[in-house]
Amino acid sequence: MLKELALAFLLLLGVSFIVFAILYAAPGDQLNVLLEGQLPTPEVRAGVREALGVAQSWYGQYFSWLLGVLSGNFGTSIRTGLPVGPELLSVSLNTLYLTLGSMLVTLLIAIPIALYASARGHLVSISWPLTMLGYVISALPVFWLGYIAIYISIHWFNFFPLASLGRQSDVNGWLYTFVPVMVLGLGSGTISEVIRNLREEMTRVMAEDYVRTARAKGASVWRHAFKEGLLIPVTEIIAAKIPFILGGAVIVEQVFNWPGMGRMAWQAAQDRDFSVIMGIALIAATFVRLGSLLQRTICAAVNPQHARE
Amino acid sequence: MKKYTQTSGEIGDFSQLPIWQKYALVDLLYVAYGLLIVALVLVSYVLGMFNLLPHDPQQINIELLMASPLSDGYLLGTDFLGRDILSRLIMGIQAYFLPGLLAISISLIVGVVLGVLSGYRGGRIETVIVYFTNLIDSFPRLVLILLVIAAFKPDIYYIMIVMGITGIPTVTTAIANKIRFLAQKSFIEAAIALGLRTRVIIMKHILWYNCRALLIIQATLGMGEAILLETSLSYLGFGVQEPVSSWGNMVQSGANYFLQGNFWPSTAPALAILFTILGFNLLGDGLNNILEDRRGR
Repeated sequence: MLKELALAFLLLLGVSFIVFAILYAAPGDQLNVLLEGQLPTPEVRAGVREALGVAQSWYGQYFSWLLGVLSGNFGTSIRTGLPVGPELLSVSLNTLYLTLGSMLVTLLIAIPIALYASARGHLVSISWPLTMLGYVISALPVFWLGYIAIYISIHWFNFFPLASLGRQSDVNGWLYTFVPVMVLGLGSGTISEVIRNLREEMTRVMAEDYVRTARAKGASVWRHAFKEGLLIPVTEIIAAKIPFILGGAVIVEQVFNWPGMGRMAWQAAQDRDFSVIMGIALIAATFVRLGSLLQRTICAAVNPQHARE
Repeated sequence: MKKYTQTSGEIGDFSQLPIWQKYALVDLLYVAYGLLIVALVLVSYVLGMFNLLPHDPQQINIELLMASPLSDGYLLGTDFLGRDILSRLIMGIQAYFLPGLLAISISLIVGVVLGVLSGYRGGRIETVIVYFTNLIDSFPRLVLILLVIAAFKPDIYYIMIVMGITGIPTVTTAIANKIRFLAQKSFIEAAIALGLRTRVIIMKHILWYNCRALLIIQATLGMGEAILLETSLSYLGFGVQEPVSSWGNMVQSGANYFLQGNFWPSTAPALAILFTILGFNLLGDGLNNILEDRRGR
């Protein structure tokens, strides 16, 4: 477990370096903005750097930025002029609600289907349409699905889900959260893969000797098949899909005007707001690594043999 | 993350059977549909390249705004500016086709090199490569691309280079696993015992004879992902800009009219995205089942 932690730490260090390297290689100098129209001669630029205490060498800049990030100082946004840290915290929480909610939707839909399909064996009559549906859903552009959801909400239920999160004092406030969560959960394309994986794993586990023994002596088959057949594959695929779901969140946040990381990253990419996009990339990578760490922990807790390998 | 497992079995038992008995019908249907889509995309790409279109995709026709499909002269109708949707869809293929190929080439070439290194050599190099693939997998693809857009410019070729790099881990893992599986077979041992050069073993006996199918499958699935990504980005406003059409910005610009009940201008490109990505994915999975013998006969 200690090894996993160390690996996650090393990976995040690598992530921070890549993020820094990309922005370091970017053309232009952000400090030119501060020169207010003066010709950016090398001497003037060096003067500004010295006045602001910006390190000259790349490693100096990298370490001062990294130390700042580790102590919670993500720098200042060019657009708002405010420190990035507090805003990052609130948007990443919003994105966390969206992604966790959508994962729940995905699992609530996928698990019953997968269990039903594996319990009935490889019945072509149900598994083929389901597989097809999975393919279609994963090919569906999620923004278009979003428009359909908005259209239905406006014309059938008479509310406008674009003002999301700002209107939670409403009686139907939960709907403003519910619609984007449903759209991401359905449209991220994870459902089909969860169904496919889970069905394969469950069918495999059901054929194992220990399940047959449990069935023969009248013990609960479900209890014996649960860990290997359901818990491990589900956590594995969810952990592997976190980057994908976060990417989908960028689009869904754009469609529904959801004040999350994806929308902020979109804005920052337009403004070339480096501090913001650096912070978001780091936090997104941290989510991914935490998810994978959590998955390994669950695996190790369920099956200590895995942990020793 | 798709798992492509290799199952062992006798090869060649059924080779005398005709093709429709040899493989599952479903897989053949998948591949047939996929090939149809690939052919359509190729033909449309060439048509678009030589400007052989039913109408000028930028031609505004104020007489005929948002015409429904099959109305006079416009097979798929017109959008909110009276531009021909079919022509715009065909031109939209220009937005992702070449960039997508670039992304796939990067993923495949680098992925194969790293996969061979980690699967065939193993040891310390493998540890480094596993770290590298984990590192790339730590970034949500779209966030990394937004980062590159912020740093450089929203150029589709920059975006597709990043896309290619983020596709490396999948190919690397698939190739490395395949090589590890092949290494247990006796023909590699025999080749080494015969004194064949490592280069020949890797290039000919491993990659050419045994990884061709896998690479074609990865390329097909990669194209599906490239389309998904290009359309998402042009939807977000990075990439091809109006008035030049791409499927993503067509969906986006039709959005307001969609909410008023004029579904078609936004739905036509969305369906194009759906059917095309579906085609590439089904082709990849169908080929996988057929060529890699995944489905038990």
